[in-house]
Amino acid sequence: MTTSDNDLKPEDFAQAAAEAIKDAQTRGFRDAARVLAAAGLCGICAQEDAGGLALGIAFALPIATEAGKLRLHWPLLENLLVAKALGDSPLAAQLAGGERVATWALQGSLQDGLAGQARGARDCDWVLVADGRGGGALLDLRSIEIQEDEALDPEHPQSWLALDGAEVLAQLDAAAFAALQRDSHILIAGFVNGAAESALATTAGYMSTRVQFGRPLSAKQAVRHLLARMRLQQEASSAGIQRVLDTDEYGRVRATRPVLANALASAAFVLEKSIHLHGGMGFTWEVPLHYALREVRKFDAAFGSGALASQVGRDFIQSV
Amino acid sequence: MHMEKNPAIPDAAAGPAVYRQYARQWLGAHLPAHMRADSVDYRTPTLDECRAWEASMYDAGLAGMTWPKAYGGLGLSLREHLVVNKEVGALAMPESVSSIGKELAGPIIQTVGTEEQKQLFLPRILAMRDYWCQGFSEPDAGSDLARLRTKAVPEGEAWRINGQKIWTSGAAKARYCLLLTRTGTVADKHRGLLMFAVPMDTPGIRVVPIKSIDGKVSFAEVFFDNVVVPDSARLGAPDEGWNAAIRVLSIERATNRMYRAWRFDCELRQLVAACKSDPQLSRLLDDGSYQRRIGDVVGEIDALKGLVEQTVNRMMAGDKIGARGSLTKLYWSECHQAFAGLALALVSHVNPRSSALAQRARKHFTTAYFYSRAETIYAGTTEVQLDIIAQRIMNLPKDL
Repeated sequence: MTTSDNDLKPEDFAQAAAEAIKDAQTRGFRDAARVLAAAGLCGICAQEDAGGLALGIAFALPIATEAGKLRLHWPLLENLLVAKALGDSPLAAQLAGGERVATWALQGSLQDGLAGQARGARDCDWVLVADGRGGGALLDLRSIEIQEDEALDPEHPQSWLALDGAEVLAQLDAAAFAALQRDSHILIAGFVNGAAESALATTAGYMSTRVQFGRPLSAKQAVRHLLARMRLQQEASSAGIQRVLDTDEYGRVRATRPVLANALASAAFVLEKSIHLHGGMGFTWEVPLHYALREVRKFDAAFGSGALASQVGRDFIQSV
Repeated sequence: MHMEKNPAIPDAAAGPAVYRQYARQWLGAHLPAHMRADSVDYRTPTLDECRAWEASMYDAGLAGMTWPKAYGGLGLSLREHLVVNKEVGALAMPESVSSIGKELAGPIIQTVGTEEQKQLFLPRILAMRDYWCQGFSEPDAGSDLARLRTKAVPEGEAWRINGQKIWTSGAAKARYCLLLTRTGTVADKHRGLLMFAVPMDTPGIRVVPIKSIDGKVSFAEVFFDNVVVPDSARLGAPDEGWNAAIRVLSIERATNRMYRAWRFDCELRQLVAACKSDPQLSRLLDDGSYQRRIGDVVGEIDALKGLVEQTVNRMMAGDKIGARGSLTKLYWSECHQAFAGLALALVSHVNPRSSALAQRARKHFTTAYFYSRAETIYAGTTEVQLDIIAQRIMNLPKDL
């Protein structure tokens, strides 16, 4: 596959991505990297010189959505974004090829000496952090003290990173880092929306077959209406995510924060209600809905649990 | 037929960007200040002023975008319709006083009307020469039109109609009523429904206005007492008109007043601008809880814009919209109610010493708040939309 394939459509990547992700989920961390890289997922947006496909972020969105649907814990979003941001650097080639794995600490900065909310840091090689001056820095995780935070997810904890003395491998200027943040908003929104879509499908299926009082639960208006509301939130969020991929009527990029804030809120709603509708089963560890909710809540926490929506409000007020 | 094409109207082949620029410039230059809801010079426009404004929009090539040229339209695609709607939404202009004609009666007539009916009715709707009202709901048949009782009985070449309609918007000003009747009995449910274009000056029609929650007299009860109309008033055969209406309604639910999301954005800007114009209200904008609520509304407006644009893209690709219009209807109505609640909370702080813009905003958004209560009722209640989503989009079984 090359970038000269003008007929390529982003949605064409969904099925191949799903198969690779399912395969990766059966393997260890490093094996998973090789499988995902071999399927072209790690380098989907990386430059061709770096072994990537040099496709736009629109092509990464279906991959993120499938990752969300399948509740992938491996830091695929972070990896492919960092590979993109590194341009033609040899480091990008290592990420696209699955030899190295990078994550992203969504909070804190090099300047602060502390960063947090990094997924899978214990297993990764490198981590991207804000440099505190508008740009970003790629750090070698071997030079960093990692403290896992199991509060939201004991099986797949986020990490706090003490950055004093961290080795800087590469730097991103402010423009590149801002562009990367924008891309990350889109992919995280796609990931959580995918998680919601999958949970909703599971829940609707269960409600259609679970018989109580002689009829499937989906026959009950209260249940039907709740499921319809969940579908509405998920569909609207998805439409907003698709829209933000395009420039506005005047060729300007659209703001991604409103879309991400909406996607996080909608996904949390759908997942919480999915768990509720599963009844006692939904409260158990065996029903995997909680894994998806944990992923959504981890991203939500990384963006300040509602602080994103408040920032959207401030941005809007400022714009008037 | 459309009058001589206004030479200022760009050729659609020039592309949507050219049409957008033209629409923006024309609307900005021609909308009178006193009709802008965000202006301190605003005063409630009269019906004649609204009619003149909409007629001038039509003359300028900003209405009837998708209607066939043969009946006065521009024969353009939904793409141009959306382009214009975005610009219409971006300005705080009055709502159309002829939406029933333009967005319901017109499309139904295009679908089932005879050639004579199309020639008679359609150009006059676009030119703002005739208003229409919608005679569907009845006291015992609101969401459930299967309980419709208004009866049409054939008498030679005519029909005799008896019954009562309610919640009929614009009945007092309408020249025609898009009237839904039944030819059989209530036991026939959705079978035997027949649609008419009934002149409102026909003997036997009585209009009793109803004052609504926003203090306006915008809808009415309409009584049909031995009203006799010629067969030429019939729109389609029994069942045909109603079946067409169902199809049109599902499309209209997704596409009518397509400007809404952009108008909500405009209203939010008006609200914030009004707050910024006043020292006391301006301080409220520093409050984190208001910032959060504004942020939530911005996110919902973005999602709504996405739903609308997705609908247009699907229709342009030849997809059937079907029940998906219910997603858009439900989302916009609840989004706007959330906004109206936020607006009311902010403008409740306005006092006699507040700025002129804030005073204006208080009047506007208080009315908007009360009017928004209707938005989850009309065009199919929230519960009806949820049923449609559950049944026709999610295919949730009601039984094993």
